[in-house]
Amino acid sequence: MRVTQSMLSSNMLRNLSNSYNKMGTLQEQITSGKKITRPSQDPVVAMKGIGYRTNLDKVEQYQRNLGEATNWLDSSDDALDKVGLALQRVQELVTQASTDTLTPDDRLKVQKEIAQVKEQIRDLGNTKVGDKYLFSGTKTLEPLFVGGSVAGESSSPLPGTPTNIAYTNDVSIEVYDNVEIKVNSNGYEVFHGIENVLNDLETVFLATPNSGSDFDGFLGEISNLQNTVLEERADIGARQNRVEMMENRLSTQEVIVTKQLSNNEDIDYEKSITELISQESVHRASLSVGSRIIQPTLVDFLR
Amino acid sequence: MRSTFMGLEASKRGLFTQQSALYTTGHNIANANTQGYSRQRVNMQPTLGYPGTGLNAPKTAGFIGTGVEAHSVQRIRDGFIDRQYRQETNKLGYWESRSQAITQMEDILSEPSEFGLNESLNQFWKSLQDLSTNPENAGARKVVIQRGTAVAESFNYIHTQLSDIQANIKNELRVSTKDINSMLEQIASLNGQIAAIEPNGYMPNDLYDARDNLLDELSEYFPLEISYDKSGGGALDIAEGIVNVSIQTKTGAIAVVAGKDFSEMTTSLTSTETYEDYGQITFSSVGNATGGNYAYSDMPINKGKILSLIDSYGRGPAGAEVGYYPSMLENLNDMAKAFADEFNSVHQSGFSLPDELTGNSSTGLNFFEDGSGGTAITAANIIVANNLLTNPSLVAASNANAEEGNGQNALDLSNTKFTQLTVGTTTNTTVQTFYQSIIGQLGVDGEQANRLTYNSETIKMAVANNKASVSAVSLDEEMTNMITFQQAYNASARMITVVDETLDKIINGMGRVGI
Repeated sequence: MRVTQSMLSSNMLRNLSNSYNKMGTLQEQITSGKKITRPSQDPVVAMKGIGYRTNLDKVEQYQRNLGEATNWLDSSDDALDKVGLALQRVQELVTQASTDTLTPDDRLKVQKEIAQVKEQIRDLGNTKVGDKYLFSGTKTLEPLFVGGSVAGESSSPLPGTPTNIAYTNDVSIEVYDNVEIKVNSNGYEVFHGIENVLNDLETVFLATPNSGSDFDGFLGEISNLQNTVLEERADIGARQNRVEMMENRLSTQEVIVTKQLSNNEDIDYEKSITELISQESVHRASLSVGSRIIQPTLVDFLR
Repeated sequence: MRSTFMGLEASKRGLFTQQSALYTTGHNIANANTQGYSRQRVNMQPTLGYPGTGLNAPKTAGFIGTGVEAHSVQRIRDGFIDRQYRQETNKLGYWESRSQAITQMEDILSEPSEFGLNESLNQFWKSLQDLSTNPENAGARKVVIQRGTAVAESFNYIHTQLSDIQANIKNELRVSTKDINSMLEQIASLNGQIAAIEPNGYMPNDLYDARDNLLDELSEYFPLEISYDKSGGGALDIAEGIVNVSIQTKTGAIAVVAGKDFSEMTTSLTSTETYEDYGQITFSSVGNATGGNYAYSDMPINKGKILSLIDSYGRGPAGAEVGYYPSMLENLNDMAKAFADEFNSVHQSGFSLPDELTGNSSTGLNFFEDGSGGTAITAANIIVANNLLTNPSLVAASNANAEEGNGQNALDLSNTKFTQLTVGTTTNTTVQTFYQSIIGQLGVDGEQANRLTYNSETIKMAVANNKASVSAVSLDEEMTNMITFQQAYNASARMITVVDETLDKIINGMGRVGI
């Protein structure tokens, strides 16, 4: 084959431009840390990348949701703990009141304290975290107790049912695909029960005359109330366990998805830099070969 | 009897001929870097010997040579390689243009990345999840509205950008039409000049080169068929004649240049941005250039830039367009519509925050709307409903009336990205998987176009090297020729000296015996 200067120079140009292209791709890979920047470089990687990103976003979001769930459960548990303590105080006071050595005046003093405890329990029933009332079911912007009665109840005397069923509704949070955890406690049931007993107690206290035996039934009722609160807390505890388990699962999931995402589209720096260096030397070689090949012709030697 | 001065004459012819060969060498060297230049060679031949043949020719011992003449100047070229080169140019024209169109599409869609459509959908999903955990929170609602707007804007942006590129492709088609028409005219005009020169026995090499260059360029657009008609008169046998150019179709050839006649190409593209049927590329009929309709269905597949541009831009009547950009736009429209419809129907079944005055929630509201006021949501017109923008508490996060702490509907809304739907004609897909599939398809198409572009570039390069191997100027060779011709010239000159000395002997040295 007859070889001419133009062939050599066009070949050299093409080789150089191929070499530049390869270096450009490597440079792009190294600066972005990604194997590909456009789908055509590897359609499978691109397609999977979209899926993995979505999965990763999901895991991140579910972790955030879990934080929210933890917040609900911890706050509810804390409030119910305080309700339990308050009930304990009521128990002590009623025990005291059931002693026949107490005068009606003394009992009136005890009643005053119980009235205070009742107020305290109502305050606990209106516990807020951020903007939300924890025990108002899905009516989170409305307090459970309004003006001394349970909100939404049609009328005294108790017991009644809430006019708005929303007060007894569950609030749940999604913590994984189609996995929802109920995060509130049934405040209406608990506080409504306590309110009933305490109201009855008040009636007895205020009745004249009253004797120690009038309070006999109440100790049992109070202990029932304490049990209800404990049951609710046990339920919260169980749900906290689920949340923790989910947290563990999600952090494992996060590691897995991040790894998949990384395996799918991140470059191996050692490999890419090595490739860049070898490509650089190829490029230098083709430049120097080019300068040698193009230069001399017969023209340089004829005189 | 030979003439006394015949030697002088023969050597003079030698001088002249070697000189013209030297000048041609000079022309080659001068054009060493001219695009499309083919090296030229002086075809030398001996002049008729002495004596000539005939009844009254003198009878002598030998048939004595009378020197040399430059018979013709020919360019050195291989028609087969030209043909191959044009075929490869043609394929490259198709794939290069397609690859470019897809690359631009990839640039717009920018997947996989942290700022593509998928990312905005993910962010929207996240904001809805946040809303489901904090449905009473005005901030979470505003975020949902903003992220929803981002989704709508991503659709709008992609649609606008793709439409712009599509319009550019259309413009390229229009410019190409002008370019093609200009080339057809130039080829016909060169044919005219060549037809005027050849009958005089000359070889218009530089005109041939110009014409071949034009044919190379034209073959980027169409698959060509080329034939030659010899010129009459005193045309040399090696003269190339005039060229007839036809465009190959599946059903026959369309003659677009015949001698001095050439067709004019018109597309049915108008300045209005509507699709038109590309059955209507028309070549006018002028004289022997019969022209005709170049229907899309007649175009050989994967050949030529024109076909590639049409494939990318799209064709067909409004509403039934086919082509690369229309189908991507349609996919996006289908996706925007399916997503917005599903999202709206879930949103309609939900309830907003209860009104402060009435205590009741609004329901049956749309989240996304057709921004152009119609009812068909597309990628181009999707917006977040105006009343939601002004009042974020209307976002229907709850699935029951007057329950501000109920985020169930927000949860259902978030899941619309993963709900089984019918997107366009694709059944049982989700917005997520549908989008993944169109990106996957784009990637596969792009990969194919890039690979075939690279391959046809490589083949074209190889053929171009073959072509250069035959036709390109080698300076070494020209130098060698230069020395050859120079030495021959010198030798002829020396021959003249020898004849001179011989004559000197006859004229000055004879008849002087004894002096």
